[in-house]
Amino acid sequence: MIAFLTLLEREIKRFLKVIIQTLISPIISSFLYLLVFGVSLGASVTLKNGMPYLSFLIPGLMAMGLINNAFQNSSSSVVTSKFSGDLEDMRVVPITNSQIIFAMGLGGVIRGFLVAAVTGLVGTVFHYYKLGEPLYVQHPFWILFFILVGGLTFSFIGIFIAFIARTFDQLSAFSTFILLPLTYLGGVFVSIETLHPTWQAISKFNPLFYLINGFRYAIIGSSDVQLGTSIFVCLMGVVVTYIMARIALVKGSFSRW
Amino acid sequence: MLHNHFPLEVSHLVKTYALKNGVRVEAVRDVSFYMKPGEVFGLLGPNGAGKTSIISIITTLEKATSGSARVFGEDVDSNPYFTKKQMGVVHQEIVNTGFFTVNEILKFQSGYYGIRNNNERIDYLLEKLGLKDHREKNVKQLSGGMRRRLMIAKALVHSPKVLLLDEPTAGVDVHLRESLWQFVTELKSEGISILLTTHYLEEAEKLCERVGIMNKGKIVFMGSTQEAIAQYSTKKVYIEFNSGEAAVYTETASAGLVEILAHHKIQFTDIKNIKIEEGRLEEAFSKMVNT
Repeated sequence: MIAFLTLLEREIKRFLKVIIQTLISPIISSFLYLLVFGVSLGASVTLKNGMPYLSFLIPGLMAMGLINNAFQNSSSSVVTSKFSGDLEDMRVVPITNSQIIFAMGLGGVIRGFLVAAVTGLVGTVFHYYKLGEPLYVQHPFWILFFILVGGLTFSFIGIFIAFIARTFDQLSAFSTFILLPLTYLGGVFVSIETLHPTWQAISKFNPLFYLINGFRYAIIGSSDVQLGTSIFVCLMGVVVTYIMARIALVKGSFSRW
Repeated sequence: MLHNHFPLEVSHLVKTYALKNGVRVEAVRDVSFYMKPGEVFGLLGPNGAGKTSIISIITTLEKATSGSARVFGEDVDSNPYFTKKQMGVVHQEIVNTGFFTVNEILKFQSGYYGIRNNNERIDYLLEKLGLKDHREKNVKQLSGGMRRRLMIAKALVHSPKVLLLDEPTAGVDVHLRESLWQFVTELKSEGISILLTTHYLEEAEKLCERVGIMNKGKIVFMGSTQEAIAQYSTKKVYIEFNSGEAAVYTETASAGLVEILAHHKIQFTDIKNIKIEEGRLEEAFSKMVNT
C-alpha cells in the first residue's frame, strides 16, 4: 500500500510541478470555449427542450477537460519516464502492475477532476451573469461516479497507448486521429438530436457519447441517453481499458527511448 | 550453505532477440554463475557481450528465453516481489528525471520499497556519496558525476543485500571513480554481495574476488583475476648479462623466475641486471575475447 501511495503522490506532484502546462492551460482553453461558444455564439442557439445552450455546454466541456487531461496525464507520465529512464526503475522496484496502473490512473483522475471542477466553476460564473442563476449540480453522486469512471478509463487508455507507442508521433497520432474526433462527435458541443439520423446512429457506437451524456445528466438532470445505459457503458469502459493497460505493461517495453 | 541460498545464482541462462528482419540473435548463451555472500563478482566483456542482458533478466526488465535467475533461492520471475526487495540496481545509463529534487527522488524510492520515514538512511547515503549539499537541487542541476552518485544512493536506499552495478563508473572522472571504488569496498565489508559489470579491467582487478569474462554471449573464463592472468597472459623478463649482451624472455605469467632461468640455463652469477614485467589482465582479457 505504501508503494502505491508513493507512486500516486509522485504522479500528483509531477503534474503540480508543471502546473501551467497541466492545469492552467486547459482551464484557459475551457474559458475560451465558454466565452466563444457558450456566451457569444450560444446566444443564437436554441435547443429543442428550450434549455439555454450555455447550460448544455458546461457539462460537455467539463467532461472534455476530464477526458483530455486524464489521458494526457498518464500518457505523458509514461512517455517522460521512458525518455528519462525512470520507467526502467519502475520495473526493478517491488511494485505490482496493478499498483502502477491504478496509481497512474488516479493521478489522471485527480488532474482531470481539477480541470473539470475549475471549468465548472468558471462556467457557473458565466451562467450566473448570462442567465441570472448559477448552474446547480442535480445529482452530485453521479457526477463523482462519472469523474472517477471516466477519468480512470482515459488514464488507462493513456497508459496503454504510451506503453505500446515507440515514438512521440505515434502517441500524438492517437490524440489527433482518435481521441479528438471521438470527443467532438461525442456530444460535447451539440445534442445528438440535432444530427442527421445517420450520424445519430454512428454516435451511438462512440463510447464517449455515453460518458459525456452521463456527465450532462448528473449536472443538468437530462441527457440524450438513459442513465442506466451510460453507467453500463462507462463501467465496461473501465474494465476493458484496465485489461488493455495491463496487457501493455506485461507485453510492452519499460526500456528507455 | 544450501546450493539454492546463494545471494544470486544464474543457471543456463539463454536470451535470444528477434530482429526486425527475422534474424535471431543469441545475446546470452548458456550462462551460469553464482555469487557468495559479501562477494564482489565481476562480469567483464566487450560491448555486446551480453552483460547488460543478464542484468536485465535478473531485474525482470527482460524475460529469459530459457534458464533461470534466482535471488536467495527464489526465481526472479516466479517471486519478483521478494527478489526485487533484496536487490538494488544501478543501471548503465544515467536517469535524467527532471521533475524532482534529490531528496524527493530518494523519498519516492524508499516508498516504492514500502519504507516511510527513511530520513536517517537517506541522510547517511547523501553524506556518504557527497550529495548532502545538493539534496534540494533538481536532478537537472546536477553534474553527470552527481547523477551517477544519486543513482547509487537510489539503489541503496532500502539497504539491499544484493547490489547490481551495471558499469557504474562509465564516463566518470578519475577522482569519482576512485571514491566509488572505496564505497564499493565499504559495501562489501558490510556483507552486501555485488555484481559488477565493467569495461575497466583495473576496476575488476581492484574490486572483484572472481570474474566471469564474457564474449559473444558466453562466459569464456571464470575465476579470480590472478588466475586469469596466470592462465592467459605472459610475463616478460629482460636480462642484461655481465658480458654486455641482453635478452628478453616471454613466458607464461604463472612461471617463477627460478624456473625461467633454469629453463634457459642461465646462471644468477651471469646476470648484471634483471627486469620483470608481470602478466597483465588486459592481455589475458584480450586473448580471451579475441579467440
